[in-house]
Amino acid sequence: MNYSPTFNDHLENPRSAGELQNANAVGEETNPVCGDRLRLSLRLDEGRIAEIAFLAYGCAPTLVCGSALTELLKGKTVEEAWQITRKDLIEAIGGLPSRKQHAAALAIETLRSALAQSGLLAETVITGS
Amino acid sequence: MLVSGSWLRDLKVDKRAMLENRRVYLDHSATTPVDQRVVEAMLPYLTEKFGNPSSVHFFGQEARAAVDRARREVAALIGARANEIVFTSGGTEANNLAIKGICNALMDAPVSPARRHVITTAIEHPSVRGLCDELEKGGWAVTRLPVYEDGIVRLEDVRAALTPETVLISVMLANNEIGTIQPVKEIAVLVRERRDKGNRQLWLHTDAVQAAGRLPIDVDTLGCDLLSLSAHKLYAPKGSGALYVKRGLRLMPQNVGGHQEREKRAGTEGVPGIIAFGEAAKLARAELAQRVDHDRALRDRFESSLEARVGDLVFNGDRKRRLPHLSNISFRFIEGEGLLISLDLQSIAVSTGSACSSGTLEPSPVIQALGRNDELSRGSIRFSFGKDNTDEDVDYVLEVLPQIVGKLRQLSPLTPHRLAALPI
Repeated sequence: MNYSPTFNDHLENPRSAGELQNANAVGEETNPVCGDRLRLSLRLDEGRIAEIAFLAYGCAPTLVCGSALTELLKGKTVEEAWQITRKDLIEAIGGLPSRKQHAAALAIETLRSALAQSGLLAETVITGS
Repeated sequence: MLVSGSWLRDLKVDKRAMLENRRVYLDHSATTPVDQRVVEAMLPYLTEKFGNPSSVHFFGQEARAAVDRARREVAALIGARANEIVFTSGGTEANNLAIKGICNALMDAPVSPARRHVITTAIEHPSVRGLCDELEKGGWAVTRLPVYEDGIVRLEDVRAALTPETVLISVMLANNEIGTIQPVKEIAVLVRERRDKGNRQLWLHTDAVQAAGRLPIDVDTLGCDLLSLSAHKLYAPKGSGALYVKRGLRLMPQNVGGHQEREKRAGTEGVPGIIAFGEAAKLARAELAQRVDHDRALRDRFESSLEARVGDLVFNGDRKRRLPHLSNISFRFIEGEGLLISLDLQSIAVSTGSACSSGTLEPSPVIQALGRNDELSRGSIRFSFGKDNTDEDVDYVLEVLPQIVGKLRQLSPLTPHRLAALPI
């Protein structure tokens, strides 16, 4: 399987894997078709992501997207975090074949679900209106 | 609690030396490495002995004689006569020739069009599955026999499915994912009973691609009419296979435009591949007992040691009535492809029956047919051993695999201790 060295490194050394006991925003989403599941727990402090951890079940890209997303998010404000796209995540892991891009979609969906739950984002940001 | 950290760094230093540069191939059901003796037998037919077996001159006759020798060896592997062997490009073509050859010949014959019923199983190789799907689209009735938790077809189900309209039963001799051995010999007895009662147009095909070289096979004892073989599962190169066609059986050729293979498969023979197949069949026959003992010893030690080190394993398929070289295990709470790629990064090659792509997961139809749930169907891994695997290979896998499973389970939101702790 030809994934990037960054991808392989995340798979071998997942970053921030686990569950935060003092989280104040949690998102868990499942891809209803393939059953992949991602869980993000965040500790937000003064509108910034102070700590983050992930759990994932699924194919390698789902595990790697979870790991890479925690790196992208560290220290970001909730508004900055909301702006992270699937494309940013795919770039961060050195690319994904098109048939595996659903893994990045699941990661962004889980992130947004956690952020929306934080209560720190204006309704207009969440709805995009 | 965070569980990050290098997986390799966590290992003891003395173990690391063992891990460096080791590549372990445990995917012999997918294909096998070519035996050096097979390469040597084949080489002259890629160089000076290049003749076309249909040519009259000595170049051709040299190739013809070699193809005939190979045919005798392949026949001997399954207790057939040489003139019952049709060389093909591989197992898939052999299955195509068997099933289309029978069904098309029948459509050509002056029989009632209502006589179009085929019996197969829910766990056939994709080539047989695809052929039966195609027949169904063409108006044939297809019965797909279930298997039970043990992965084995029941004779009562075959008996119940048989109708006066049934013309073909296609049941694999051993399954490619879980290795379970099917009751082909017993089904053949049923077929003979039906023939004795006047149902002359009823044939039995078996896909023996996985079984050949791993079980002793004798077509007369087995009682089948057609049997498919593939060379590359027997330490020969890809691109060569064979169909055993019982003497006297009428089969409609699928390749036309030449007289090769007794009119059953037109096209110049793939001479080097056939020579290799013949040599591989000869070696498989001579070394069968030794290979079986070797593979089984490695497989059994792997399974018992793994069970001692890793919990929450589910073995797929009957553990007695199966091929000696194969182990199929579902690892609870983790997904097969994530495990496969993690093992690949540690230079261990295995396979999984499920594949996740474009957001759709196709869990293994074979594991599903055992009645397993989605989680278990998604978490199945096939380990298939071969004659060149060593005890050190097994030691290496036993060192690496439990650690990877442990890490992936720590990552998994499905693991029970995590689920219990989560405020969902």
